[in-house]
Amino acid sequence: MRGIQKDLKEFHDAGIRPVAISVDSPEDSAKLCSTAGYTFPVLSDPNAETIRRYDLLHTAGGLGGTDISRPAEFLVDSTGTVRWVNFTEDIRVRAKAEDMLAAAKEIH
Amino acid sequence: MPEMVQRHRNVLLWLGTVLILLTVVSTIPQIYGLKFAPGILPWLGLLLPAAAVLCLVVGVSRAFKQPQIYRGKTLGSILGFLALVLFAGSVWLYSHARDLPKSASAPKVGQKAPDFTLKDTAGQPVTLAQMLSIPIDSASGKAPKAVLLIFYRGYW
Repeated sequence: MRGIQKDLKEFHDAGIRPVAISVDSPEDSAKLCSTAGYTFPVLSDPNAETIRRYDLLHTAGGLGGTDISRPAEFLVDSTGTVRWVNFTEDIRVRAKAEDMLAAAKEIH
Repeated sequence: MPEMVQRHRNVLLWLGTVLILLTVVSTIPQIYGLKFAPGILPWLGLLLPAAAVLCLVVGVSRAFKQPQIYRGKTLGSILGFLALVLFAGSVWLYSHARDLPKSASAPKVGQKAPDFTLKDTAGQPVTLAQMLSIPIDSASGKAPKAVLLIFYRGYW
């Protein structure tokens, strides 16, 4: 997400709106945004309903055994269709901003 | 009088120490939550401590076998133990970092992304449809071409 924020202007210029989603409460997300300086929407799914619907629930994956979202990225075009997805195999490795920008440029 | 033999520095022990330090340094991006860590990082996290163990095992065994030539029986043993602990930890971390759900029913390319209503940081409800239609730049008034949904583990 730091990488997204760093390249946010490029994403916006490409017509892409990054939207982050986690199980954190709006208060925790607000804290994260102010400390990390995120200016794109960061949304809360505390009951993991959307995370479940996207089949991303990582049961007991959080600290203290809480259910969280696994990392995943989806590029959704204006018709609501998924155009690109990324599921990392290792939580330490995330999609590169340049790969996501390249995928975004394929959408007309 | 027996001739005094100058003992060698046990270079492998120094090399092992450097590898231990590099292992620790390679975990720093994670500690700082650098989520765009390069893909090589998980492999480095395994290879560096493995190489440290190898150097130290060879270094310590030659310190014990040829103490007249090589120093470092005590220090080498301590470092070797440290490297083993570090390697065990990195193996655990590696398997833990890859222990992820299969997500077999997650939306695929070409499928519709399920709509959602979620609260933003101000507690206001936001839908995917809104994210796709509200202009990024209110001055241009143009709807975005796409939304990049980033699901993440959370702020812990």
